[in-house]
Amino acid sequence: MSNSLKGFYKILITLVVALGIGAIFILAIGENPIAAYGALLKGALGTKLGLGNTIAGFTPLLLTSIAFAVAAKGGAFNVGVEGEVILGGITAAYIGVNWGFLPVPLLYLACFLGAMAVAAAWAFIPAVLKAYYNVSEVCVTILMNTVALYIGSYLVSGPMSAGTATPQSDPVLVTLPKIMKPSNANAGVFIAIVVVVLVILIVYKTKWGYKIRTVGTNPAFADYVGISSKKVFISTMLLSGMLGGIAGCIEVLGVYGYYLDNFAKDLGTNGMLAALIVKSNMTTTPFIALFLAVLKAGSMAMQQATDVPKSIVDTVSAIFIIIATMNFVVSLRTRRKAEKAAAEKRPQDPSSAGTEGKGGSK
Amino acid sequence: MSEYVVEMKNIVKSFGEVRAVKEGQFNLKKGEIHSLIGENGAGKSTMMKLLYGMYPINEGEIYIKGEHMTKLDPKIAISHGIGMVHQEFMLVNELTVLENVILGFEPKKGMTIDFDKARKDVQHYIDQYNMEIQLDKKVSQISVGEAQRVEIIKTLMRGAEIIILDEPTAVLTPQETKKLFEILANLKAEGKSLVFISHKLNEVMEISDRISVMRQGTYMGTVNRDETSPLDLTKKMIGREVFLNIEKDYSKAGEKILEVQDVWVPSQKETSKIRGMSLCVRAGEIVGIAGIDGNGQSELIEAITGLRKVEKGAVILNGKNVTNKSPRKVREAGLAHIPEDRNTRGLNRTMSIEENLVAVELDKKPYTKGIFMNTAAQDKYSEEMVRQFDIRPTDYKLPTSSLSGGNAQKVVVAREVSMNKKLLVASQPTRGVDIGAIESIRNTLEKAKKQGAGVLLVSAELEEIISLSDRIIVIHEGEITGEMAASEANENNLGLLMMGGAKNTKQKGEEAS
Repeated sequence: MSNSLKGFYKILITLVVALGIGAIFILAIGENPIAAYGALLKGALGTKLGLGNTIAGFTPLLLTSIAFAVAAKGGAFNVGVEGEVILGGITAAYIGVNWGFLPVPLLYLACFLGAMAVAAAWAFIPAVLKAYYNVSEVCVTILMNTVALYIGSYLVSGPMSAGTATPQSDPVLVTLPKIMKPSNANAGVFIAIVVVVLVILIVYKTKWGYKIRTVGTNPAFADYVGISSKKVFISTMLLSGMLGGIAGCIEVLGVYGYYLDNFAKDLGTNGMLAALIVKSNMTTTPFIALFLAVLKAGSMAMQQATDVPKSIVDTVSAIFIIIATMNFVVSLRTRRKAEKAAAEKRPQDPSSAGTEGKGGSK
Repeated sequence: MSEYVVEMKNIVKSFGEVRAVKEGQFNLKKGEIHSLIGENGAGKSTMMKLLYGMYPINEGEIYIKGEHMTKLDPKIAISHGIGMVHQEFMLVNELTVLENVILGFEPKKGMTIDFDKARKDVQHYIDQYNMEIQLDKKVSQISVGEAQRVEIIKTLMRGAEIIILDEPTAVLTPQETKKLFEILANLKAEGKSLVFISHKLNEVMEISDRISVMRQGTYMGTVNRDETSPLDLTKKMIGREVFLNIEKDYSKAGEKILEVQDVWVPSQKETSKIRGMSLCVRAGEIVGIAGIDGNGQSELIEAITGLRKVEKGAVILNGKNVTNKSPRKVREAGLAHIPEDRNTRGLNRTMSIEENLVAVELDKKPYTKGIFMNTAAQDKYSEEMVRQFDIRPTDYKLPTSSLSGGNAQKVVVAREVSMNKKLLVASQPTRGVDIGAIESIRNTLEKAKKQGAGVLLVSAELEEIISLSDRIIVIHEGEITGEMAASEANENNLGLLMMGGAKNTKQKGEEAS
């Protein structure tokens, strides 16, 4: 308890420092930082449209950040969430457009299940390559993101094209209701929240979650006690992929109503950043996702209300990430020191200790 | 100036709660080989690390060449002519031998390193002491024995007159050990003073001029080699006549629990590290495997426990063929396993004591409720284990990384033993744990045996093997070199077999004792 409180406290300080440094930049271009941040906050939370935009941005980010975090719990660095979002989206669009023979409730279900299945299958590839052939999942997922992007582009430019100037699919037959018109916020946010709560429950309360955490922290131990590290690793990646797929499905059914080419741009990366800032801590990751969504949604309003360019927001989030990582470095160093002081057991390296020693005894 | 180049008087050193050295005495004459012996954890390495300045002493006095050292760190120790060859080599794998030797005090020629001069200097030592070292190979490509010689050269290059060797033979093959002893004899002839730390009595008897014994952090006395015997030293080391009065009830040994039939096992680097081993463990007996570290013990255990694939041969556990089955299948067939490496394999350091305790039984009732874990049952079990095995601290929600070595090992032992499996494989169960934990772990193994389990024990400690086992199997370079009842075993005949020398002349080995 006190530990997670400490974590929150740390994040808060980091946040304040990041905003402070951002403020210096704003001052440097001759604007009032307080006014700028005020406009940003008001733009993101103060109006119905703004709040809606924040929620709309938050929804996919919440899922992609948890997708990354859960993979990290199982020891995977899944950069491929974006590809999984894309393929989940295109699958939802295909089913949503073509499976009109299903009754509506079933069609919803089919869209989500289809998106999850295809996205999971996509994540299965790097998972197997890593587990059985020791191919870095980082490289494979980065490369596969591009492949997924082009698969989506091809489908909505060719076989699934609506015939419009922009590459997009036909409108889907079922959509998630918008909750704060005219923004893009939709009922998907509730689905996302429920899913994330479920995932956190899975990770901390179920046997599967126990296995995921075991494999993620010590695969040798897992194998030794009879938990197959390979199988659990793969299952973790499948779970992560499914979450990406759900995000894609919500975007298609909730935000656009059709598959729009390139809709998932940066969703995976930003989710990854949100998770990385808190070292994939499952309970704090959603809050970071929310924070990033607020920054993003408020930036446009800030640019309109003041003369501060909205790219300052990118600066702030970049600083945020840098400081958060530095914080990580600092805590690592203090831990090292503590270990050293406590144990005093690690033998010192005589070659370094003896740097000044007299060489050669003639 | 006294006759001693090193004197250590009334040394006390504690690490936190643990008093590693309670009353340490040591002195070294010029040009002698002085062995420091004792069981693991007796404080012999610590004493020498104190001399090398790696830790400050709490109490006592250290004199080097008559000079009272009030402040000591490795740098000062080196400048006073002390060199230390550690158990774990301090070499950079990706550099060549020559680069390693001169690292930190390279001879310069303008801006660049004068490799020619360096080579000449190093070659001088190589010739003088007749060492075989290939200067241009990378350290990663040379053998352990050669790496050790590089370490010795390193100390010489730094002007060492006093060289401390911390269990130098633990990692060596017999041939390499022989070569090392020749080098040590050469060094001694050149007037260097050597400290030889070991717990292998036959080696100590072979090489030393004088021998000092430590037991549980306390100095037990110094004797001249010519005036003592292994038996005498053993008594000093252990404090009692261990091998004679252990009462073992061996008659109860029942049906075969584990059968290993002609298995061939690869190691990480080579194929067929183990070449055709066969052995069996019966219910109600402890079978000890003796051998120098790295002669295939780890591979054998991993092959039995399903953690390493075997090339050919069969492993039968409880009548089931478990050859190349997953660790889970082997465990289901009746295996409990205390692994040699407690930190990577035996425990998940980042998780709590409780999570480590339930790891094996996680999928079984009552620890599970549907897909969820049954936290209440897990708590109850953990509480019971913490009490029964005296794990400290008792708060089982704490991560195992906060535990001392002994308590961490107790967690492993508790988890494995509490299941009452048919076969208990214990690999180095007491390595690096304190005396109290050693006692309790040994008792636990004994108890498991009494309850009818078959126990396969691997230990680097001959004393442990001899006092616990009913039957002893000696292995050398992946093959079984002998087998005997523990009652017939002693340091000498086991040592001979461990060297592999008496592969087919078991009888002779026993007579030689």
